[in-house]
Amino acid sequence: MAPAIIETNGLTRSYGDICALKPLDLQVPEGEWLSVMGHSGSGKSTFMNLVGGLDRPTAGSLKVGGEDLLMLSEDGLARFRREFVGIIFQQHHLVPYLTAVENVMLAQYFHSVPDEAEARSALERVGLGHRLKNRPGELSGGEQQRVCIARAIINSPKLLLGDEPTGNLDHKSTVMVMELLKELRAEERFTVIMVTHNQEVATWGDRTIYLDDGVLVREERMRS
Amino acid sequence: MLFRILKNSFLKRPKSVFLVFLSIAMGAAVATAFLGIAGEVSHKMALELRSYGANILLEPSAVEGGGFLREEDLPNIKTVFWKYNITGFTPYLFGVAEFSAGDKKERGVVSGTWFNKELAVPGEETTVQGIKVIAPWWDVQGDWPAAADEAIVGAALARRLKIGVGSEVATTARGRTQRFRVSGIVTTGGYEEEQLFAPLVTVQELLQQQGKVSRVLVSALTVPMDDFGKKDPATMSKDEYEKWYCTAYVTAVAKNVEEVMAGSRAKPIWQIASAEGALLNKLNSVMLFLTILALGASATAVSTSLMASMAERSPEIALMKAVGADRFQISAIFIGETLIISVAGGVVGYLLGDQLAEIISRTVFNSTISSPLWLFPTAIISAFVVAIAGSVAPLRRALLVEPVRVLKG
Ligand SMILES: Nc1ncnc2c1ncn2[C@@H]1O[C@H](COP(=O)(O)OP(=O)(O)OP(=O)(O)O)[C@@H](O)[C@H]1O
Ligand SMILES: [Mg+2]
Repeated sequence: MAPAIIETNGLTRSYGDICALKPLDLQVPEGEWLSVMGHSGSGKSTFMNLVGGLDRPTAGSLKVGGEDLLMLSEDGLARFRREFVGIIFQQHHLVPYLTAVENVMLAQYFHSVPDEAEARSALERVGLGHRLKNRPGELSGGEQQRVCIARAIINSPKLLLGDEPTGNLDHKSTVMVMELLKELRAEERFTVIMVTHNQEVATWGDRTIYLDDGVLVREERMRS
Repeated sequence: MLFRILKNSFLKRPKSVFLVFLSIAMGAAVATAFLGIAGEVSHKMALELRSYGANILLEPSAVEGGGFLREEDLPNIKTVFWKYNITGFTPYLFGVAEFSAGDKKERGVVSGTWFNKELAVPGEETTVQGIKVIAPWWDVQGDWPAAADEAIVGAALARRLKIGVGSEVATTARGRTQRFRVSGIVTTGGYEEEQLFAPLVTVQELLQQQGKVSRVLVSALTVPMDDFGKKDPATMSKDEYEKWYCTAYVTAVAKNVEEVMAGSRAKPIWQIASAEGALLNKLNSVMLFLTILALGASATAVSTSLMASMAERSPEIALMKAVGADRFQISAIFIGETLIISVAGGVVGYLLGDQLAEIISRTVFNSTISSPLWLFPTAIISAFVVAIAGSVAPLRRALLVEPVRVLKG
């Protein structure tokens, strides 16, 4: 088995009395595609945000890519996010006043230096070579999600996180986005963690874990 | 890239950008206008204050001169080093006389002086000198004397002699009598109300003191006394003396005038001189205080409008943070935005403020001003200060945005 890129021990996140994530021990080997399922409020996003360095655990240990996230300062977490993680949200979350290519360049800008040619070719890879200069409001939901994917992969992250990236898409667009992610993973060899409500989407992964009320209740390996 | 972000973010929110721009421009305009006229105001106030009395008294020195100054020396006052600081002067010749009008008789002081005399000095511009110039607050009922045998009479004296405008007063001194027609009655609130004022030549003849004057009152623009100004010139080194002489202290101007009037001693009239200096200092403090207040108000306005747009922008900030922007990068965007707006606001504020200063100067002081060079950088810097001060709270709020809370997915 490949070495673990994510390693949690007793990882916990509570909000006052509410324990959104109960002590969780989990290992994710490098290169794995992990699907996370569970009903609403079961702690999927909570888990995701912790792994992506957007949130801090209240107890336990969390190592991602050899980095102990508990030891990082706020700016250290920001650096971790831009260098290590690509994130795709359910709502598209693009900057509304920037064009598609500028939205991709924004991630480059925070990471190092913006490179328009590179940003353009990333958009071409997700099939949006013809919509470079459009603003998010002028793109369909599926197109916006593909801009997000281009932005997420632009800095060659080791870890790609998707919190219901296809939650707002119809079947056809969903398949298109999933195929795209699969292709990109084949080339870039990043690890994928994908939260989803959709059983079919989950089957694109190597393994699925099920959360219930903040507890990992079941896990299932897909036949390869 | 930063430039693209800023450009697009401006285009996207023209209203809130305009509000911030307006607040900064207003602040810079007020600062420019106030600071621009502050110097002018001091100068003009000094002139106005000057009109409330003379500040240098020239008297015959006890040692030489035999009790009088020479009228022929008077034009020299307009040729001294500080001639442009001297706004006016007037000579007096005093004598005791017996006034009689109708059946009333009284001993009193007759005063020969200039009322508004045109003084031509070779090589200098012709000026008007006299009481009208240095004591414009004299309230004359009737007219100022226009002929050699006309006089104005102090209100108290006139009451006792029961005379009014048009009456005649016989004035007797040293056995000679001069009849004056009363052209006006003067109220000053001071000792002048006890005297009779007539043209200098007439009184000189009456008193048999041709070409002589007893004292001269000089009105000069001076700078407030400071510690250096208070030093005794006699103890100064050559350099110090030069510096002292070239600073318009009331003592320096007095010394300057004294030198051209043979046998004279010049004394500053301290009470007025120091009150003036203190008043001008206070005035400048008030202007500065108002400027700071205005800048504070516009910083508050900047803060408020940035705060308001911050609420609308928190998704965008959260997103930037989520894709890895650290606090420094977020700050750079926001400070960059406000600095660009503040440069524009500073330039526009400067132009507006300059006009404003001009208008104020024209309506209040009836004159034009030329704005000093340092005013432009001052306007830009005050715009920066307003922008930075107004950004502190909104920026703190931007840095506190938590991506997880805003980007609920
Ligand atoms: N900021 C917060 N303050 C308090 N409680 C929170 C907060 N964020 C999440 N929770 C709670 O934590 C629990 C887990 O939330 P989470 O967002 O992880 O659920 P989820 O599995 O992603 O649900 P969904 O499928 O609806 O997105 C929920 O009970 C939620 O109410
Ligand atoms: Mg969720």
